[in-house]
Parts: sequence; C-alpha cells; structure tokens
Amino acid sequence: MSTASENFTSGYAAAEPQTGAVKLTMILSGAVFALMMVLGLAMRAAQSQWIGLDPDLFYQILTAHGAGMVGTAALSGAAIMWYFCGRYLVLGAAIFWAFLGLFLLGVALILGAIFIGGYGGAWTFLFPLPALSGGAWEASAAAAFMLGYTVIGVGFLLYYLELGRRIHARYGSLARALGWNLILGREDNDPPPPAIVAAAAVTIFNSIGIILGAAVLAASLVHLLVPGFEVDALLAKNLIYFFGHVFINASIYMAVTAVYEILPEYTGRPWTSNRVFAIAWNAVLIFVMAVYWHHLLQDVAMPPWMLVVGQLVSYFSGIPLIAVTAFSTFLYVRGSKMTWDLASALLVLSVAGWSVGSIPASIDGMISVNKVMHNTMWVPGHFHTYLLLGEVAMAFGFMAWLVRGRTIARMGGLDRAAFATYLAGAAGFVTVFLFSGAASIPRRWAVHYEEWLAHDRIGTLFSLLVVLGTLIIVLRFAARLRRSQG
Amino acid sequence: MQPVVLLISLVLMAALSAAFWLAARAAHGPAPGPGANGKRTGLIWAMTILGVLVSAGSLRQWPHALAAPGDALEVNVSGGQWWWDIDTTEIPAGTPVLFNVTTEDVTHGMGIYDSNLTLLTQVQAIPGYTTRITYTFEEPGSYRILCMEFCGVAHHDMVNEFEVVAGEE
Repeated sequence: MSTASENFTSGYAAAEPQTGAVKLTMILSGAVFALMMVLGLAMRAAQSQWIGLDPDLFYQILTAHGAGMVGTAALSGAAIMWYFCGRYLVLGAAIFWAFLGLFLLGVALILGAIFIGGYGGAWTFLFPLPALSGGAWEASAAAAFMLGYTVIGVGFLLYYLELGRRIHARYGSLARALGWNLILGREDNDPPPPAIVAAAAVTIFNSIGIILGAAVLAASLVHLLVPGFEVDALLAKNLIYFFGHVFINASIYMAVTAVYEILPEYTGRPWTSNRVFAIAWNAVLIFVMAVYWHHLLQDVAMPPWMLVVGQLVSYFSGIPLIAVTAFSTFLYVRGSKMTWDLASALLVLSVAGWSVGSIPASIDGMISVNKVMHNTMWVPGHFHTYLLLGEVAMAFGFMAWLVRGRTIARMGGLDRAAFATYLAGAAGFVTVFLFSGAASIPRRWAVHYEEWLAHDRIGTLFSLLVVLGTLIIVLRFAARLRRSQG
Repeated sequence: MQPVVLLISLVLMAALSAAFWLAARAAHGPAPGPGANGKRTGLIWAMTILGVLVSAGSLRQWPHALAAPGDALEVNVSGGQWWWDIDTTEIPAGTPVLFNVTTEDVTHGMGIYDSNLTLLTQVQAIPGYTTRITYTFEEPGSYRILCMEFCGVAHHDMVNEFEVVAGEE
C-alpha cells in the first residue's frame, strides 16, 4: 500500500508550496471547531437544566456557535481546496495570507460584537432583528457583527478572484475547467482534474453568494445608521438565505477536494474527471443557487413557483451527491486493498455523513412535511449530520493526512478510540435532534419545557462524546505537527 | 405525520449507512465488476423517476391550503417582541379557520401546537406582509401558539393560548 502512496505523493511534493500556511489554518480551524463544540455542549446542557445560562447569554452563545461553525467550516474548506489546487496552479501566497488576515480581523469584530457588545441576533441576522434588540444590544454591536461578516466576505472574494484568475490562465476558461469539453464530447488533451472542476464551480457560485450577501449587509448597515432607511423584509430574507445557504454548502464542496485527492493515494486508483462527473458538478453549480427557496417554504407571501422549485431542487440535488460522489466512493473503496488509518477512515466517513444527511434534508424540503418540521430540532438534525459527519470529518481527515508518516500504517489504538468516539457521539447526537424534531421541539429556544428534557439530556451526553473525540483528534494533530516540524 | 416522516428518514439513512459499511468491509474483497457504471446509470434513473412521482404526488394539492372555503372563520393573530395577540379566544371545532398573521416588528413564526405539544401547522410572520393559512381543528381542547423563528432574547417566552370548543351540531 505504501508503494501506491509514494507514487502519488512524489509527483506532487514540489508543487505544494504553501503547506505552512495551510497547516496554520488547519490548526486554527481545529481549535475553533473544538471551542464551538464546547459552546454547543453548553447550550444542550442549559436546555437540559443541568447548568444555568441566562437567556441573554444563551442567545449570544447561539450566535457565536452558528457564525463560528459556518465560518470555520468555510475556512477549513478553503484551506483544503487551496492546498490541492496548488498541485495544478501557481497560486499567490500573499493572497492566502491576506485572506487569513481578513478572516481573523472579521472574527475579532464578531466576537467583540457578541461578547462585549452583547449581540445575540443569530448568525442569520434576519432583517430587521439586528436593529431591534429590545434593549439587549446597541446598534453599534450589530454594526460590528455585520462589519465582521463584510471583512470576511472581502477576504473570500480575494481568494476566489485569485483562484478564478489562475484557473482561467491555466485552463483557458472557467467553462473548460468546469468540464464542458467532457460534457460535449470534444477532444481535450488536458482535461481538468476533479479538484479543478470543483474549484471552478465553487469560485462561481460562492462569489455570487458573497456579493449578494454583501448587498444585504450594506443595506442592513445603512438601516442601523439611518433607521428611516427601510428594506423589504422578504427581499432581505431572500438575500440572506441565498448567501447563507450557498456559503455553507460551498464549505463542503471545497472540502470534498480532499476526498478526490487523498483517497487515490490509498486505493492506487486515480480519481479522474469524466462526463458524468462534469455533468454532476455543473448541476451542483445551478442547484446550489436555486435550492435556497426551501428555507422560505413557510413564507406564503413568496411566489408559489419559487417554493415549488425549492422543493424540487432539494430532492434533485441529492442525485449528483448520492449517485455520483457517494457511488464513486463505493467503487473506489471496494476491492482497493486500502489501509484504514485515521485519514482514510474519516474521509470515507465524511462522504457517508454528507450523503446520509441529505435524506432528512430532502424530506424536510417537501412543503407538506416542512409545515410541521420547519424550525424544529429536525433542522439542526439534518445539517449537523452533513456538517459534523461531512465537512468537519473531511477537515479532520485532511488534518490527519497532513501529518501522517511517510508510509501508511494501520490505525493505532488512540486513533481508533478517537474515531469511534467521534462517530458514536456524532451519530447519536444527530439522531436525538431528529427524534426531537419529530416530537415538535422548536429550535433556538433557550428554555425548554419539562416534556423535552429527556431529549436534551440524551443529546447532551452524546455531544460530550463529540467534544471528547474532537479533542483527541485535534490534540493528536497538534502533537504530530510539532513532531513533524521539530 | 411526524412519526411517519421520522420512520422513512431513519430507514433510508440506515440503508445508505449500511451501503457504505458494506463497501468499507469489501475493501479487501474483489474489485467492482465491469457493470458498475451501468448500476450508476440505473441509480440516477431510479432516483429521477422516484423524485418525479413523489414531487407530483406531494404538490398535486397545494400544501399550504391558502384558499379558505367561504364559510371559514377569520382569526387575526399579530406578533411582536415578545407576545402573540389573538382576536378570537374560542374557536369552534370542525370549522375551517383562516388565520391572518402579522408582525409589528421583526420576523416571527406562528406555530400552532395541540395539548400534547405536537406541532399542527405553522406560517412565518413577515414585517410588512399579512400571511394566511387555513386549518380545521378536529378536537376540542387547549391549543398553544409558540414562536418558531428566532426573534431575540425572549423568543422562548413568546407563547399564547386559545381554546377549541365543540362545534354546533
């Protein structure tokens, strides 16, 4: 098995110039993931009535947890995609450092807004809630929160501009990088590898998402300064969910490049772009932008055709995921003689978690089901499945791979324990959320009724396991990083 | 509806998890045969046909039931940070009720719960809009309105009640 690994890695060794910046980003991501999970645990424990949290503080933690998790998922996804695109493109290191610097500046503004300014308007900042706190926070705190988002958005736009520019220079056009030659059956002597197809698609849809997000952030900031400046609340909600949905999806679509690039080292079978793969990614490019309407199914003022499209795309976007990415993973793994170490196990798990999480999401995307599931615990149930067991597992798998030894060895006892703890904790944790959603427990409530406590307490115990598994994985990464650089 | 949704979801999730588990266990077995790509095409078609059937079935009757019958009782519900105001506190069972929902400040979600704390229906309350849904209560009893959309520091306190009484025979 080690032979296959060496064959694949040796060719790339000279073409991975920014490993230091990526490793720094991943250790930051790991630390923030762990911290945000501790905040999640605190919220579940407060709902369980095992610890006391003032509702003010609970909703501040809710805001920090949501913004922190989404931001860190995107940060880690961006670092992973940058790293693997570096195998095919010459990317400017200064841009990555500017991106990381702007990200950290944004985080400082957001944390200040929440824990100094008391902002607790949720990461979704639904207009006009940031301006109407009922005395809980000042307009300046809401403005700092939104400025933090804006600064992070500027950093991401820089990142995508650089990536788009280099893809264009290397492959001639974004259309070719999206695999249109493969789709149209034209001859192409230099077809884009899967990581580049993904990078081209994400560059397009996330740039559009961030620009529309910036528009609603700017309008909300003006509203905070000049309260007479009104924005249509439904239009603002459309813009916020377009931005939010595209952004969080982009984090997984960036991180999946780790699966495309790393699994071949273990299986000895290169993951190549073909016609079905290219069609799937072009479908993703459209679907990921059209599906956000499923967040608005209970806004009956929306034109009905948009809600119908929301339902249809919710379901049909599962086809590229399950029939192409997940099915390809089955094929790559079967009969591969692959060695299971922490990296390969987490990466295969991540495709499984992502795919499995799409099932309750698609079902909730049906208008008739959404009527009794929307904004219940069902919703964190499905997105925690494809984030905790999907994007975060991809990030952790990439981290484990970054610090692996020269040859691939079987998982040691501690790695095995970390993997099992994380998997058991996460699977149990999300299942409790789904049961709670089916029991009609509303989400984002600081105080729970007695009838709901059993759900909360079982959920708290599972989230404790998730935190424990995460701590072992992140601390192992830090220790191995030190050793490999020492 | 919720138990059925949960059951279907868990069965499908377990089936997909099992497929991954079996693929992982087969890592040291034989490699996929030449028919693997054909299976992928079959899966794409199967998912497409299933999606068309389920979509057509679930959307044939518009799920929001916006068109209230002529004899519907109109009930006005307004929300604000952090209260619900209902202009009718006794609603007859068996009569279609048209809820007109408004908000005075931020976005809220009006979720109607029965006495067992089961969510029956919901709609969002959007600033500047009146949102409408129709619902027919079958059983007399005490019902609650809970806020479903995060609306600030007393979101969880935004609860009100109304009674459904036996309708006239």
